[in-house]
Amino acid sequence: MRTSWKAKSSVAFAALLAITAGVLVAPAPAAEPVTITIWTFGDVIQRQLVAEYKALHPEVSLAIKKSDLDPLNGTNMVTACTSKTGPDIVAVEVSYSGYWRSYPKCFQDLRQMKTSDANASAGVAAGLSASDIKKNYLAWRWEQGVAYDDSVIGIPTDVGGLEVAYRVDLFKKAGLPTDRVAVSKLWRTWDAFITTGQKYLTKLSPADKKSGKAFVDNAGTIYAAMMNQGTEKYYKNDGTDAGKLIYDTNPQVKKAWDTTIKATEAGIGSRIGQYTSDWNIGMNKGTFATILAPAWMMDYIKAQAPDTSGKWDIADLPVSGGNQGGTQLTIPSYAKNKQAAYDFLTWYLAPEQELKVFKTYGLFPAASVLYNDPALLDYKDPFFNNAPVGQIYAKGVLQIKPIFEGKLQRAIDQAIGAGLGRVAAKKMDSKKSWEQVLVDLKKVVNN
Amino acid sequence: MALLKDVQGSHKPALTPWKKKSKKEDVFPGVRSLNGRWGHLFVAPFLIMFLVFGLAPVIYSVYISFFKWDPLGGSEFVAFRNFSLLLHDSDFWLALRNTFSIWALSTFPQMFMAIGFAAILRNTRLKGKSFWRTILLVPNITSVIAVTIVFGQLFGRDFGIINGILDFMGLNRHIDFIEGIIPSHSAIATMITWRWLGYNTLIFLASMLAIPNELFESASVDGATKWQQFRFVTLPQLRNTITFVLVVGTIGGLQVFAEPQQLAADGGSSKQFLTLTLFLYNQAFVNNKYGYAAAIGIMITFIVIIISAVNFFITRKISNDGTR
Amino acid sequence: MKTKTPSWRKTSPASYFLLASITFLSIFPFYWMFVVSSNTNAEISKSPPSLIPGGRFLIVAKKVMSAEGVFFNHALLNTFIVGLSIAIAQVMFSAVAGFAFAKLDFRGRKSFILFVVGTMMLPSQLGIIPLFMLVKNLHLIDSLLGLIVPALVTAFGVFWMRQIIDAQVPNELLEAASIDGASVPRVFFSIVLPIIRQSSFVLGLFAFLAAWNDYLWPTIILQSPQHFTLQVALTQLKPMYGLDYALQMGGAFLATAPLLILFIFVGRRLVSGVMDGAVKG
Repeated sequence: MRTSWKAKSSVAFAALLAITAGVLVAPAPAAEPVTITIWTFGDVIQRQLVAEYKALHPEVSLAIKKSDLDPLNGTNMVTACTSKTGPDIVAVEVSYSGYWRSYPKCFQDLRQMKTSDANASAGVAAGLSASDIKKNYLAWRWEQGVAYDDSVIGIPTDVGGLEVAYRVDLFKKAGLPTDRVAVSKLWRTWDAFITTGQKYLTKLSPADKKSGKAFVDNAGTIYAAMMNQGTEKYYKNDGTDAGKLIYDTNPQVKKAWDTTIKATEAGIGSRIGQYTSDWNIGMNKGTFATILAPAWMMDYIKAQAPDTSGKWDIADLPVSGGNQGGTQLTIPSYAKNKQAAYDFLTWYLAPEQELKVFKTYGLFPAASVLYNDPALLDYKDPFFNNAPVGQIYAKGVLQIKPIFEGKLQRAIDQAIGAGLGRVAAKKMDSKKSWEQVLVDLKKVVNN
Repeated sequence: MALLKDVQGSHKPALTPWKKKSKKEDVFPGVRSLNGRWGHLFVAPFLIMFLVFGLAPVIYSVYISFFKWDPLGGSEFVAFRNFSLLLHDSDFWLALRNTFSIWALSTFPQMFMAIGFAAILRNTRLKGKSFWRTILLVPNITSVIAVTIVFGQLFGRDFGIINGILDFMGLNRHIDFIEGIIPSHSAIATMITWRWLGYNTLIFLASMLAIPNELFESASVDGATKWQQFRFVTLPQLRNTITFVLVVGTIGGLQVFAEPQQLAADGGSSKQFLTLTLFLYNQAFVNNKYGYAAAIGIMITFIVIIISAVNFFITRKISNDGTR
Repeated sequence: MKTKTPSWRKTSPASYFLLASITFLSIFPFYWMFVVSSNTNAEISKSPPSLIPGGRFLIVAKKVMSAEGVFFNHALLNTFIVGLSIAIAQVMFSAVAGFAFAKLDFRGRKSFILFVVGTMMLPSQLGIIPLFMLVKNLHLIDSLLGLIVPALVTAFGVFWMRQIIDAQVPNELLEAASIDGASVPRVFFSIVLPIIRQSSFVLGLFAFLAAWNDYLWPTIILQSPQHFTLQVALTQLKPMYGLDYALQMGGAFLATAPLLILFIFVGRRLVSGVMDGAVKG
């Protein structure tokens, strides 16, 4: 039977039609399963949000590895970058931001990434690069995730902030005002803080003094607080990538050092190291009446000293707002699943989610758009005498100015911290200890 | 790597403590008739693995000790600069002092106690022999991290249990186990002693049990008291054991790492916790100065070799002079 | 011949007291771990802290086992696999090489053993970075093999085996066997191995214990939670800043408990192994 040309072409045409129809009608391929590996520490990546994301995207699994902060942001990241293998997301704490900002080659520039439409229904529009979402965040916190070549290597999760947590009952006993506005007025300057401390000490019984009671848990915390209130730390932005080292000439450093020494020598600190078992016990026993507390420390106090609920309150830090701690989420340059990682990251760090993290873990959001949100502003904490912690910390963090951070920042902080520790332990006097600090820093910088 | 000496943080288990063959007599200990190429074949698997995983990394590290190397930055050939910097680095000498101090505090008291407990345990009339001996090894199986958390609570300056006991006894002063130099070293030494005392006790016990009874009998026939028998019969026979426990303990003790690192990773405000290996580790992994760290590693090796040799020869000499 | 027990062999009450003290001090940290994990953090932060266990151990244990990223059962299995593999491998490699050093003559024997002993004096922290790059090139990152392979041989294991075989295997026995026509491998498997079985077991046990408690290298190599060993899994329990005593001690206790159980069974053997290794044959 001879197939006519017409018949053949109709068959061909029908076949073409069928194929096209099939292609159009066939279900879109199911989303490819992908596993995003995340290196983090502590509670930065919050369990509940992880579960929420999984519900949104069943094909995505999040493999999370928690480590100690120092090996994580130190050795592990260095090894990963040199061997070019590693996770898709790494959490970098701000104490290390000065260091990692000088190695943009280890990170994906987030300005080059754009969100896909994966989370459009969840509130994160498609097509957003880091430059687009920058405006949602606190400017100086955002800066800590920007490398020296201006590439954006990380986006902030939270901001530590810093205020003074004080014991209302102990203040009352010492005849000090207890209302938080009045208390904030007591110490508008650091010298006033020291004077208040000395006044508190005079009201302690000899037995109290003997058992080590004092005003603040550790006078050394004053140094870090003061340094974050300035505009320059150890480096000056001179237009080069690395900046110029100014730790030995910056008057802010000397001022912070001298004030801390003054506080130490006035004996207002109980000389207990934070996060030691003595410190936890001290919280319960009222060994110290004040702690310079970042927002995330509130949860810690609640866990370690639940019996002191309602006895604490929050007052302003002397001078202006301060900061301690905070994290950026970064995507390494050698990551395998960059797009999926970026989608997760932008969702996780969206203001909506940062608010959720605040409510569960007390990590204060770096998304400054929230600072006008009643959900944040009206938030009161009963443990802290119903203080409007949202308001107080928001006010504080908005007062901070960006500081140029340099590569050896953390090492310098540590050497100075050790120097202050020596004076507190009465091993050296202030002058000798400072000289030792300079000797140590010379090694750090040159060796 | 699960190397015993790193994991347990200090001493390695003692090795067989008999006399090392002197250099003069090169007596081949083996079997003539089993020679041939078998020797090389049997050693080959070990040799290959060892060269690749044990030796190659070390050679590489020696190589980079002549460079100034930041893995994320660049490298720069500096010949012996790292070594000369090291000898002028006050931190190095501090670490040396700390390491020796901790070594002395953890080795010698422990040795006395181990011999003492072994003497008690060697008594055949002791009840519950097996139980006491087994308990001795229990501390050895804990992880260093768990132990440091527990001991950290014990040694708290204000509220730690030890200072609590001092209060209870009426003493008014607290010991600062973190800031004080000798106290901090004692804290580390205590942890090390706790972990290894039982083990070393067993070593000495075994050696004591191997002393023939006749020696004691003839001594007691001669009218020697219990203490004299211990001094003149037991102790001399233990000389070899003491030598080996000392030498092996030195190799491990000079490389104490895990306990100080867990208590004060930066070495402490007065660098009281800085041991030689912690110093190395921090230079490499915190300051990213791998070349400098490699130089430190080489120095540590030299120090360990020299001190072990000194230990060995001193105890050999005493042993040779003192034998009757 | 029965010898009269010398008078000093009677054990005084003082001795028993000392032994009891040592026992107490040896066990106390474990007991303390249990106490801390069974109380709330607030209880522990009191001064003086509670010295008796609270009732919360099962709660904490459950928290540890179900904690995010811990996968306790997986970690337990992984640790067991790694420990067992390393123990067996180290014993085999060390026995073979130790036998060669003890009983066979070959060129370079003396200098090589000295060299091997010398390397025991090198600090291990030195080799971490090059070792990591080596393991990475072998594609063993984030796998249990990355833990096992570098630990297959140790200088210490070979040295220990050499001493053991030297002490426990008489040359005469080997001479006789070889005269009978046995080949070297035959001699090794049929004669040497059975004799050193007890001591090999002890070496294996110590290797197992060391692998169980190792934390530095595993935290560097292992990256996905399902590959973690116990020590790495435990670090997942750390809160953001500071310590959560109850949880971490609970984890530490649970990680040590299998060893304690193992110890109940093999403790005596371990003791005799240690003591045998200490005495000339």
